[in-house]
Amino acid sequence: MSWIHPLSPETAEPADVLGGKAHGLAALRRLGLSVPPGFVIGTEACRAFLRQGRLPDGLEDELAAAVAELEATTRRTFGGPEWPLAVSVRSGGSVSMPGMMATILNLGLTVEATAGLAAETGEPRFAGDSRRRFLASLAAATTDGGPIPDDAMGQLRLAVAAVFRSWDTPRATTYRELQGIPHDLGTAVTVQAMVFGNRDDHSGAGVAFSRNPSTGARVPFGEVLFGRQGDDVVSGGSLTRPLDDLADREPAVWAGLLEASRRIEEHDRDACYLEFTFEAGELWLLQARPGRFVGAAAVRVAVDLADEGVIGRDEALLRVSPRHLELVRIPRVVGVDEADVLARGLGACPGVAVGRVATTADRAVRMAADGPVILVRPATSPLDLHGLAAAAGVVTARGGPASHAAVVARAMGKPAVVGVAGLTVADASARAGARTVQEGATVAIDGTGGEVVMGTPRVETTAADPHLRRLLEWADEVSGDNSTGRDEAARLGAAHAVLRRGASIP
Amino acid sequence: MTRPASAHATSADLLALHTLRCIGFASLERVAAAAGLPEPEVESELIDLGVAGLVTRIAGEFGGWGLTEAGRAADAQRITGELETAGTRTVVAEAYDGFLVLNPELLDLCGAWQTRTVDGVVTANDHADPTYDARVLDRLADLDRRAEVACAGLFAAMLRFRRYRVRLGDALARARSGALAYVTDSTASYHAVWFQLHEDLLATLGIPR
Repeated sequence: MSWIHPLSPETAEPADVLGGKAHGLAALRRLGLSVPPGFVIGTEACRAFLRQGRLPDGLEDELAAAVAELEATTRRTFGGPEWPLAVSVRSGGSVSMPGMMATILNLGLTVEATAGLAAETGEPRFAGDSRRRFLASLAAATTDGGPIPDDAMGQLRLAVAAVFRSWDTPRATTYRELQGIPHDLGTAVTVQAMVFGNRDDHSGAGVAFSRNPSTGARVPFGEVLFGRQGDDVVSGGSLTRPLDDLADREPAVWAGLLEASRRIEEHDRDACYLEFTFEAGELWLLQARPGRFVGAAAVRVAVDLADEGVIGRDEALLRVSPRHLELVRIPRVVGVDEADVLARGLGACPGVAVGRVATTADRAVRMAADGPVILVRPATSPLDLHGLAAAAGVVTARGGPASHAAVVARAMGKPAVVGVAGLTVADASARAGARTVQEGATVAIDGTGGEVVMGTPRVETTAADPHLRRLLEWADEVSGDNSTGRDEAARLGAAHAVLRRGASIP
Repeated sequence: MTRPASAHATSADLLALHTLRCIGFASLERVAAAAGLPEPEVESELIDLGVAGLVTRIAGEFGGWGLTEAGRAADAQRITGELETAGTRTVVAEAYDGFLVLNPELLDLCGAWQTRTVDGVVTANDHADPTYDARVLDRLADLDRRAEVACAGLFAAMLRFRRYRVRLGDALARARSGALAYVTDSTASYHAVWFQLHEDLLATLGIPR
């Protein structure tokens, strides 16, 4: 084989061939963790596709052989009427980028295979739902509007071509241009046997951090959706549950996750991020990467890892970029009881705002005459902008860091939390999960961590954080500079300079 | 100036009303600039609309001219009527489809203009790196050309939408000549006008946001 590589513990190709996702999955297999079997079409095939405008010679034969091997491994038949094999198809360059086709699930669920899956599981609704999702996602990915063939190999070729083609979408091109990523890298495609999070009550999907990404505390953190597939978690459209709900509902899955994140942390010597699915009580890992924490969380993880003896103090210092410390003077909500957290969304403009809830722009303007107001809206339109101008901060149920609401909030310099899944805004009240907040109630929002908190919590900058103080003490020891008046980034930067010099002297 | 015989012209009173529907509370100056009409003419229309109970003027820091509930309902009815009379539903729907393809990229560009990610940390773009800013503006100019193509049919069919072409082009030109606020920050910025075009397409087609 030359275009296609197995997804096995022995797979040694680098991330620029396999893509970041598959490279991480091969590492998980080396750690003995459960990863759905599959194979990777390397980035060379994408480059050839983009040059020639078609799948390169030999790729189709290799695809057929790789699928045959996957059929043998899973003892299933791709698109077959009995024991059908369905696969996921995921893009994965060495970095992920907006505008690229990300994932097609349940591929291979032909009419026959769907009937076979229904018969096998006794769950015709599950099988039908899975096929509908597949057809919708492939139709969205193939922009030419042609019919989707009812043969599994035809579907796979279509999906692979769609992933390759999406490398050159204008949005992805713009992203590479801005980030200085070469345009000729191409993407890999990972094909794996499906595991179904939507199969039954003991199935689901989620994301997990080995430590809290907001604080860095050594407590697993994440979200889980029971009875649903992974794209529902990432899309944020459905109401997710806190990760530790798994402890009661699926103790074996919970124990498996803890063990997996322990092994990955031990191997990477860093906090990690995982995407997982469980099917009928069995855990499968779909992606793993370093946690990539920033600010206070990055400081805490580095200091804790040094205390745990996992890394040395010098490495702890080098793990934190002075850039992270430029954020430490931004106020954060701290010491919040979980019961007071009304909702979580995505921080879109950093800073804390505390004020009374207003659910329309007009009332925000009126109420702002008597003190600070938090505008809470389903989404924002230009008709809300006078309310946003009058408000101290804004919360929207929909939208992400790249949404009109986020752009406008940043333009106005107002703390903003967007994409709060499960938040519904009614006239004069807002509802998140089981809680309802009346207009006029006081809430605090943290535009860094995305928390929406009842009442008036403690607000501090990370500059007061004890972990930061210790890290900076270590920095001063290394640099030998104890002069006052230097800011945090300068103190850490001085230590980095000494450590880097030291490293370059043999 | 040549004008295709088929281009639909919106009456001044509906234009004043609908401009408020798409830009939200605004000063007379901003309404006039968005509508592309002289201030006295817009003011006269707004006063008449105010008498009819469709718009209102609120004093104070966050005030200005804005729609009443009745004004919003009247606009919805009249703008739908215009769409049917002019026979432009298809052309607006096509432009909206094209707009939706470009919108995520425009928002990516605005995010890239406002923030930069260095060492995994998102910080405010301090605009101290002209090379980076120029890259963003080059891509914005590229997107602007594609938006013009996507909306060409719409601009040909409805005069009022051509105002967006003028305002987007103006914002881009100002940003490229060094007025950095015209990308995301000013009320006449590229993003502000784009956001209003988004609202207009939704309002015209009767799609809730």
